[in-house]
Amino acid sequence: MPYSPSPSSGLRSAFSRRGIGRRLLLLIILFSSCVTLLSTGVQLYVDYQRDLSAINTRLDEVESGYLGSISASLWNLDIRQLQLQLEGVRHLPDIQSVAVYENPQGVDNPLALRIGEPVEQRAIVREYRLVYHLGGEGRDIGRLVINASMDEVYRRLWEKAVVILMTQGVKTFVVSLFILYIFYRLVTQHLSTIAQFVSRFKLGKATSQLTLARTPPRKADELDQVTHAFNELGDNLHQAYEALREVNAELERDIIARRRAEEEVKRLNEGLEQRVRQRTAELEAANKELASFSYSVSHDLRAPLRRIEGFRRILVEDCGHDLHGDAGHYLSRIESGTREMAEMIDSFLRLSRVTQGELCVEDTNVSQLVQRVFNQQQEREPDRPARLELEPDICADVDRRIFEVLITNLLDNAWKYSRQRNEILIRFARDQSSGQNVYCLGDNGVGFDMKYADRLFTPFSRLHKAEDFDGIGIGLATVQRIIARHGGRIWAKSSPGAGATFYFTLWERNTECEQGYYSVG
Amino acid sequence: MSKDTILLVEDHPDEAELALRGFAKMADDYDVQLARDGEEALDFLFSRGQHRGRPSARKPGLIILDLSLPGIDGFEVVQQLREHSDYRYTPVVVLTTSDEQSDILQSYNLGVNSYLCKPLDFENFSDVLQLVSHYWLRNNAAPRP
Repeated sequence: MPYSPSPSSGLRSAFSRRGIGRRLLLLIILFSSCVTLLSTGVQLYVDYQRDLSAINTRLDEVESGYLGSISASLWNLDIRQLQLQLEGVRHLPDIQSVAVYENPQGVDNPLALRIGEPVEQRAIVREYRLVYHLGGEGRDIGRLVINASMDEVYRRLWEKAVVILMTQGVKTFVVSLFILYIFYRLVTQHLSTIAQFVSRFKLGKATSQLTLARTPPRKADELDQVTHAFNELGDNLHQAYEALREVNAELERDIIARRRAEEEVKRLNEGLEQRVRQRTAELEAANKELASFSYSVSHDLRAPLRRIEGFRRILVEDCGHDLHGDAGHYLSRIESGTREMAEMIDSFLRLSRVTQGELCVEDTNVSQLVQRVFNQQQEREPDRPARLELEPDICADVDRRIFEVLITNLLDNAWKYSRQRNEILIRFARDQSSGQNVYCLGDNGVGFDMKYADRLFTPFSRLHKAEDFDGIGIGLATVQRIIARHGGRIWAKSSPGAGATFYFTLWERNTECEQGYYSVG
Repeated sequence: MSKDTILLVEDHPDEAELALRGFAKMADDYDVQLARDGEEALDFLFSRGQHRGRPSARKPGLIILDLSLPGIDGFEVVQQLREHSDYRYTPVVVLTTSDEQSDILQSYNLGVNSYLCKPLDFENFSDVLQLVSHYWLRNNAAPRP
């Protein structure tokens, strides 16, 4: 919708105090008045000079036309003629008075005749000597004084000035008004249209195009350029605004989605926390139960076993001679049964103990630990040749007490399954080639078949016949439990007859939440 | 010379029988008094209840104590007798099946003199009893109450 302000308000604004129109009018009038004044001045000066020269010409004419006859009249003392002649001169334009004065030398009562009243201001006075030629000799007989007034000249000049100024002023004013009107029609009106349009321009509103209420000129002028530029600017702004609004809306949608997601996460987290708390409580309860179970195993299962053994012994001691046949053999089977049971209980307790209690992790020299346990083993069986190949000063952050159980179990195994070797060889090293610490403890024992490797760490399961090797099959389960508590993994490589090597890692994961501290009593 | 009195606190009759048999086989002759629970043990120690009027000569010189007892348990027995000036320094040996660290710790904190796990091997058990009794009653020097 083209917009244009009402013409009357535009015109009024064009004349307003600060409007360009008013300033333009003032400047035009001022300048044009100056020019008018200057040109009028020049014109008046030229007129003045012309009038002045007209008077002088007239006086020159008097000199040439009248001077001789007036001299003759004075020589003859023809007063009447002289009077007529002076009257004639007097009636010439601008001449105020004419006077003749006889030369007083050698004459009594010299003649003085004057026609008209001389003026003193703005007067041109000219004096002529009156010379009479007598026989080729000029005689100075008197003076002719002509007094011409310039009043008329000035009056005419004044009138002329007034007329010129009046006409020039009116012309200037009219021309100025015309220029102002034209300027208003051509520029101011459109400027205020543009100004009002710009001031009413609002982003986000359906934009109208700025058009000027005029017949477009054949070639685009500055206003067209302004209009075009502004419309383009408006379009661009509008597009930018729309884009911005779209981005904003997108952003808002994002924010809402994110907020929702956050709420969801929060809700899930709360649920998760709740579940973690619940599971932790359950775990704690289960652990407590396990601990008290272990306690009762240690206390209550051992006692009857002990009594069985005690009374078996009494039976052998007191009634041994009354027993016949295989009774002694059966009694010894009872003994080995109870002994095995007792061992199982002990092992089971050891296993359950390494899973309980707080880990006291400190920097430990594992090599020294291996060396010490190896020495203990050797002291136990000093007759068996044994050799330890040890990479010195392998340190790790472990619980020293529990780790000693681990090393003992592994070395016990190595020792046990190397029974048939002439010399027991045990190697301990660290492999860092994979970028992580892998600890290896190997032996040269009988090894095992890798297809049973998955059963290696299961409690009470064995890979070898009980007759060949003693033990109840809980050592490696304990080892695995200890490694698990140290955030690591354990695996083994072997083949029958080629020895076995156990590999383990430490602290691949944080086990803090798996550890609980439980004490009984 | 009167025999030294040993107070054996053991609730299970079979355990008691085995222990008493162990004492019977010893070369040293001790007056072994069996208490079936904590209550009875304290009664004997302080000459009260069923043991009112116990001859002062039979005041135990060694107390061998099981921890798990019906009613007043072994820990409480130790606690109570240690509070009494007569038994402040009397040797108390815990003889039990538990090798639980917490039990051992608590016993020592209450002031027992020794903690023994009953060995499975009965031969061994008799030896242990004899060793303990002999050591605490013959070898060990304790302050007079």
